[in-house]
Amino acid sequence: MVDITIRKRPRTEAVLTQRKFFKKTARGKVIKVLRERYLRDDVGCGIDGCSVCHDLRDFSLPSSGSSAHAQYPNGHFVLPDTNVFLAQMDLMESDLFNPPIILLQTVMEEVRHRSLPLYNRLKALIRAEDKRIWVFYNEYRSETAVIREEGESPNDRNDRGIRMATAWYKTHISLARPPVRGQPSRPSPTVVLLSDDVANRQKAEKEGLVSISVRKYVEALQDTSKLLDLLSAPGSDEVEPTRVASARQALYPDYLPMSTLGAGVKSGQLHQGHFNANQYNYLEGNVPVAAFDKPILLIGRENMNRAVQGDVVAVEVFSESEWKAPADEVVEQETTLRNDDADESEEENDDEEAIAERKVLQAERARREASVRQPTGRVVGIIKRNWRSYVCHIDSTSLTSSNTTSLSQQTVFATPVSRLLPRIRLRTRQAPALLGQKILVTIDRWDSTSRYPEGHFVRALGKVESKEAEQESLLLEFDIPYRPFGKAILDCLPPEGDHWVVPPKTADNPVWRDREDLRDLIICSIDPPGCQDIDDALHARTLPNGNIEAGVHIADVSHFVHPDNPMDSEAAARGTTVYLVDKRIDMLPALLGTNLCSLRPHVERLAFSVIWELTPEADIVNVRFTKSVIASKSAFTYEEAQIRKDDPKLDDDLTKSIRLLNSLAQKLKANRMAAGALNLASPEVKIQLDSSESSDPIDVEQKELRETNSLVEEFMLLANISVARKIEEAFPQTAVLRRHLPPPRSNFEKLQDILQKRKGLTLDVSSSRALADSLDKCLDPNEPAFNTLVRIMATRCMLSAEYFCSGSVARDTFGHYGLASSIYTHFTSPIRRYADVLVHRQLSAAIGYSSLHATLHSKSHVERVLDVVNRRHRMAQMAGRASVEFYVGLALKSRGKGKATTEEAFVIRTFRNGLAVYVSKLGIEGLVTFKRETQFDPDAYTMTVPAASPEAVGTTIAVFDKVTVEIEVEKDKNTQRGRVKMTLRSPVDSSTL
Amino acid sequence: MAVPSLSKAERAYIQASLQASPPLRADGRSLLDFRTVLLETGVAPLANGSAKLNIGKAPQEGGGGTEVIAATKLEVEDVETGDGVDGGRLVCTVTCSPSAYPHLSTNALDELQYDLTILLHQTLSHPTLHPNNLGILPHKKSWLLSLDLVILADAGNVVDALFMAARAALWDTKVPRTRPLQYQSRKAGDALKNADAMEVEGLPEITSAFDTRDMARAAADFELPDYWDEGEVLEGRDRWPVCVTLNLLPPSHFLDATLLEEASTPIRLLLAYSFPHKSQPNLQAMRFIGSGEVVLTQLKALNADGEKYARSLFDSLETKLRDEDIRRNVKARDKFAVR
Repeated sequence: MVDITIRKRPRTEAVLTQRKFFKKTARGKVIKVLRERYLRDDVGCGIDGCSVCHDLRDFSLPSSGSSAHAQYPNGHFVLPDTNVFLAQMDLMESDLFNPPIILLQTVMEEVRHRSLPLYNRLKALIRAEDKRIWVFYNEYRSETAVIREEGESPNDRNDRGIRMATAWYKTHISLARPPVRGQPSRPSPTVVLLSDDVANRQKAEKEGLVSISVRKYVEALQDTSKLLDLLSAPGSDEVEPTRVASARQALYPDYLPMSTLGAGVKSGQLHQGHFNANQYNYLEGNVPVAAFDKPILLIGRENMNRAVQGDVVAVEVFSESEWKAPADEVVEQETTLRNDDADESEEENDDEEAIAERKVLQAERARREASVRQPTGRVVGIIKRNWRSYVCHIDSTSLTSSNTTSLSQQTVFATPVSRLLPRIRLRTRQAPALLGQKILVTIDRWDSTSRYPEGHFVRALGKVESKEAEQESLLLEFDIPYRPFGKAILDCLPPEGDHWVVPPKTADNPVWRDREDLRDLIICSIDPPGCQDIDDALHARTLPNGNIEAGVHIADVSHFVHPDNPMDSEAAARGTTVYLVDKRIDMLPALLGTNLCSLRPHVERLAFSVIWELTPEADIVNVRFTKSVIASKSAFTYEEAQIRKDDPKLDDDLTKSIRLLNSLAQKLKANRMAAGALNLASPEVKIQLDSSESSDPIDVEQKELRETNSLVEEFMLLANISVARKIEEAFPQTAVLRRHLPPPRSNFEKLQDILQKRKGLTLDVSSSRALADSLDKCLDPNEPAFNTLVRIMATRCMLSAEYFCSGSVARDTFGHYGLASSIYTHFTSPIRRYADVLVHRQLSAAIGYSSLHATLHSKSHVERVLDVVNRRHRMAQMAGRASVEFYVGLALKSRGKGKATTEEAFVIRTFRNGLAVYVSKLGIEGLVTFKRETQFDPDAYTMTVPAASPEAVGTTIAVFDKVTVEIEVEKDKNTQRGRVKMTLRSPVDSSTL
Repeated sequence: MAVPSLSKAERAYIQASLQASPPLRADGRSLLDFRTVLLETGVAPLANGSAKLNIGKAPQEGGGGTEVIAATKLEVEDVETGDGVDGGRLVCTVTCSPSAYPHLSTNALDELQYDLTILLHQTLSHPTLHPNNLGILPHKKSWLLSLDLVILADAGNVVDALFMAARAALWDTKVPRTRPLQYQSRKAGDALKNADAMEVEGLPEITSAFDTRDMARAAADFELPDYWDEGEVLEGRDRWPVCVTLNLLPPSHFLDATLLEEASTPIRLLLAYSFPHKSQPNLQAMRFIGSGEVVLTQLKALNADGEKYARSLFDSLETKLRDEDIRRNVKARDKFAVR
């Protein structure tokens, strides 16, 4: 029996036993919190074989510490200070850094107080198997507990507690090794206080403790060069004695303190929003905020003030007289700043680059009256950094050329793949080895004295343009979770695995409970070629009363994915399946996605069916929802289905059913169009791969659309709308729906203006119906592709559709603008979209098949899940597009065999010094820049290229003009970044301009 | 107050012995003696200030005496929405434990509570005593200082006990330190020091739209700079008054009456005096309780006497309060260090 000692003490000891503190709540109240503290004498030291705390087991630290460090030959333990975890987490997480670590409770609490993400990483670190970390609860051990002195700051108190614990360990280790007579006394291991706080180190040394800075500690380890790269860049406030503190001029204004920002935002004097960099002009960015229709424009480095894409910033808006229009010029970082030296760029303040930048800004001011102004301001502080790891290339010119083979440390620039990010300066010893590789870089800080952010190297992804490196970098860039599914997740799958089948139909089988047997129905699926995850199937038949019964059968994923288990959480976190050109990153394990839930032909599968009774005019008479068992009769591709339908010789049931479905679909579509649904366009191209193994692209072609595509689409829309109505009725507060808000009219202003001025066409955007009609009228008899182009541009003016929880927004904003439906949801692809899984659960509860899991009754939970799903959805789309773009590049290369391709293109935007063009055949957008001066008329959307001889009239190019461009893929010499380069061939040749 | 049934004979007996020469009291005190006063501060850890006070506890007899607990709690109030008052306010509440007055009906107990609440509240929330550190943000946020007193037992002289306990709890009260947060736009000059080109072109100097002094001064919110710190004591904590009850039994009067003595006294005079540091004592409140009569000419002499008694009560309370502060902080910490 363990003795239980009741350690109740009188109130007179309150000052020791109670820790009081105040807390300010979100609603502005101040609460006093009281914590009782019980001090004990049996908190273990964690050192294996310790003779003093011998009655405690599983001590994880080796008894003689680690002898891997040259300075401590007798072995040592590392006791890190809080600042080590706050600044050097990458080092602590490295596989190469594994001395025995004593982690104090004080340190953990301080980390938690300072940064929650770092605290979570720290907790993961403690659990990691390859780390030897012992958490010592020093605040609860009577010898090491400290109480705050009068007038002592919390920081000093914690530092004192850390030193006290270090001192205790020192005596404890010597106590635990009493000298044995007759044996030479073994020297005891040292406890090393690891701290970057100079004051704390000095105090520790005064008290006779061993302490060392992180850098010095790492320098004496093996693998120094790799570990040193992981150190975050030293801060400007560091007072390392070896470093010469040079007084540098601040390039950026300082940020206001966090508390002031909060007050400013609250009082409406500042605006909070996400910073978006401009991809055409690195000296410009904008911040969309609620207070203005248009985003706040930030012009120039000082006003952007070290904000990085995605950061949440606080912006001060200038008075209206200083508002400006966004730039109409392409400004590329590489060209303007190509001579910048990584080592010393911050010192030269008036160098030519700065002058060049200023020129750009001045040019802009000169014509700022010209076009529409928008709110302009400057960043006064960062509310939240959203820095992550970025995929970069090392800029070869930033290497000091003399030492391309040496291993000495040098400062280099890393250029992120994304055009939205600034160059990152990092110090590395492996620079030569990293040239021509894709690498992952983390930003550590951006001081006001430094033009560029400073970061450190995390890991190399592989050679540039190797498939693996490009693929992984794409996934990292768009923050897509791509790790294989873990064991806990795979354990949620049915134990039968591949051999799972629908059990035989018996009265008492739970699988068959309330399930309709639709195995005899003539059901088929129609999908793109090569589709493995078939999540929908269809049927139609004529009823005796002349009406038609049509059914949509969706894979019953919710039968396998139960709420709140590891598989469900993982699927919720992934949100969607991501399709890249040559890879699919599944939301659910492949067993479900491509087998058990895939409605393959000739096998029995569980399904969730929506069955309508429709009049021959496609009006709904009745709809019902049921869980079912189906056996698909055939899996068609769009093409096969089309051929079968059109083949007059065939007259079997299956063909008839397809024809029936097709005729209904045409009527459904007509009804939808009459209601004002938009026929939008987005550039969709198909990459033809050589073979499934090599995945070398051969060519790019535009996707073909057939009647059968529209057949499937119409029925899916119908199913989604019917289901949306049902679940909204059953769960008005928490139904998972999808909406598409009508775009604000101002989004179309520019397009309307261009159309009016260039083509004399008007675009009526008063309603989706009016827009659809006027889009139909946007025709250029000479140019059939013009209509598609306008549709693409109109699509870009719209907002994106989003999932939402029905209780969270007003009832009148439920509508789907693009589909012209008053309510909509996603029900038909539960294998690849998580929202559909939620909808399945809600529908299943709505028809009384199962009860609704508690989490789906909670509005806040549904909102949280949908936020993630919305974000993942967006990221997945962007990743897919980026993947296509990469392959288009490869295809161009292989097609042209090194030579350039010439294609027709449309001008979609004009700049002061260039054109943005769209190559419809390849679905890519590109930029043509001119080095020579051009005449630019921003109001008429034209630019005039002066002719070579002064007498001749220059060539004018306007938006919507058809031009011919030469496309080649060129590798940036410095960064190895492959990019599409376009040069104008006609009406003028821009290669010399 | 709590009047246990007392026969006329008993009352006459007590009055006679008090008026005898030398006066005789049941517990052997002289007329102006107080019973033993026990005081402890910081009894309620979650309160911002607290005290427990006992008058007349007899340890050998297992307790007894008048017992009062006082505690203060600070809450943030919004001035703009009309809840709070600019500069903060003090609200006193007295609760009588039913066990202290077993003979009173619920209604009578409520009345008694109400009377005492009014007395304490009117005296303590008087503007002359208002501590000036109860404001957080001018015209926006302020502290509400709630002072709650509970009478746990009544063995006479409960008003003096209440005032002493209130003074001790207010003395002990610490106001969390706050720092106003405001957004103040900087001058255009230092923000745009690199924008030399603009000035050269002769454009007007760029100033922020928000650089109007008054707006910038207006703090929007506050924060707690040091959440471990209990805070600072109330401003003017030596001003809080003490009260002495003069039990008038003409021609003499006596202090600190027991329940029986109270019941035998026709009229009592309550005097609350404040002794601000380095200035004249102030009479903060005066009340008569009882059915007897007092001639106006006597009042001046009574007041003078009352001030004298209050002064000595004030001094000993002050000494005790300072002792308590030391006991709870310095001594406790020393004890921890040598453990």
